[in-house]
Amino acid sequence: MDCRPGDEMLLAAVAERDMGAFRTLYERHAGWLAIRLARRCNDRDLVADAIQDTFVAVWQRPQGFRGDGDIAAWLWGIAIRRLVSRLRARSSVAAVFEKAEAAPAAEDQVLLSVDYGDVGQALARLSPEMRAVIQAVVLDGLSAREAAQLLRVPVSSVKTRLYRAKAHLRAALAEGPS
Amino acid sequence: MTGWHLDDDALRRYVERTDSLAEGASVEQHLLSCEQCRGRVNPAVDVIDLAAVWGRTRDTVEVPRPSVFERLLRAAGLPAHDARLVAVASAFRGGWLVSVVAVLGFAALAAAVGHARGMWLFLAVAPIVPCLVVASSYDPWLDPALEPELVTPYPMLRLILLRTIAVLALALPAVLLFGLVVHGEAPFAWLLPAVGFVAVVLAASTWVSPLRAAIAVSTVWLAVVWLLAARSGSPDAVLQARAQAGFLALAAASFGIFLVRRRWLHQLRPWR
Repeated sequence: MDCRPGDEMLLAAVAERDMGAFRTLYERHAGWLAIRLARRCNDRDLVADAIQDTFVAVWQRPQGFRGDGDIAAWLWGIAIRRLVSRLRARSSVAAVFEKAEAAPAAEDQVLLSVDYGDVGQALARLSPEMRAVIQAVVLDGLSAREAAQLLRVPVSSVKTRLYRAKAHLRAALAEGPS
Repeated sequence: MTGWHLDDDALRRYVERTDSLAEGASVEQHLLSCEQCRGRVNPAVDVIDLAAVWGRTRDTVEVPRPSVFERLLRAAGLPAHDARLVAVASAFRGGWLVSVVAVLGFAALAAAVGHARGMWLFLAVAPIVPCLVVASSYDPWLDPALEPELVTPYPMLRLILLRTIAVLALALPAVLLFGLVVHGEAPFAWLLPAVGFVAVVLAASTWVSPLRAAIAVSTVWLAVVWLLAARSGSPDAVLQARAQAGFLALAAASFGIFLVRRRWLHQLRPWR
């Protein structure tokens, strides 16, 4: 497709302390990582810190990538955990997980249900708290403990909410769209 | 890689966060594996200042990682630049510390054997070790790294005191440990002389180089111990309350002189 070096090659160069490769890696990935992190935390300074921590960690331990899967997924795994540990360090800052829920316009709702079918609808009917837990644990792959730190709730609440959310989804999908 | 890519609307909704959880999750899953779509997201980033964060990241990784000792100082609450200045002192390099511990170890061993002469040896060595290490921690001749610090308008007094405290925090526990090994009547007898000698070296370094001061103090102390040992044959003389009070007075007086004469610390700059 093109002759630009792949991420694996860049990472290998970073391991050889190549600042140029490091910069290219940053330019390729910092942007989407920042946007994805910002969807989990409204404090932009924290997101910036987490991005910095992520790439410092990459520089210090590029061999942490074991060659399985996408480098993007590996970077995301580092980034979300750095965000969690930044949140833990700054206990005074209340991280808002979910934006104030603006009700989607009616036609958007229809589009969504057309595009994403039952699952999308079932997810949309969950309370914001349950959606947050589903996002953190199921979609972001955090442990219950890490999710609890991200969402600022006890671990036990994460587990109950996850259990209930799954039950809701199961029931909603079994019923079919109402 | 599939030929399927995010359409512009979906991408826009994702960046503006006007999408649903299901759509957002689907976009995120695609982004993880599609370099092309990631490239389309990047120009739209306005959540953080990517260039500024890159600058900070590069600055962080370009600074060499601080030594264990420096990180310890920072953990103890010392500001980063102070920790760096304290930690670069040659006295904190491994070799120095090892030799200090070795000397003390031999002396303590000799004393622990129970021989009176061993006790004398320990009493002769233990009190002068801290002042020698302190002197070498800010002697410009031993520490080339000190030179740029002396030209920068960094308060000399603060630097020397910080280093002295750091040295004592390292050296005193070591000497204390060996003192406990020694089965003398008073394992702490050397403590006040040690503090006194450090203060003398600080005060004397307003006239001469710290290392010379420390060597002079050590020589005098060794001579005194030698004389006492030759005359009485028992280390009690140093342990008497009167002698200890004398060391305390010496420490207080010297420290006073050091503070009064701190303006003359600039004589440590050898090129002036």
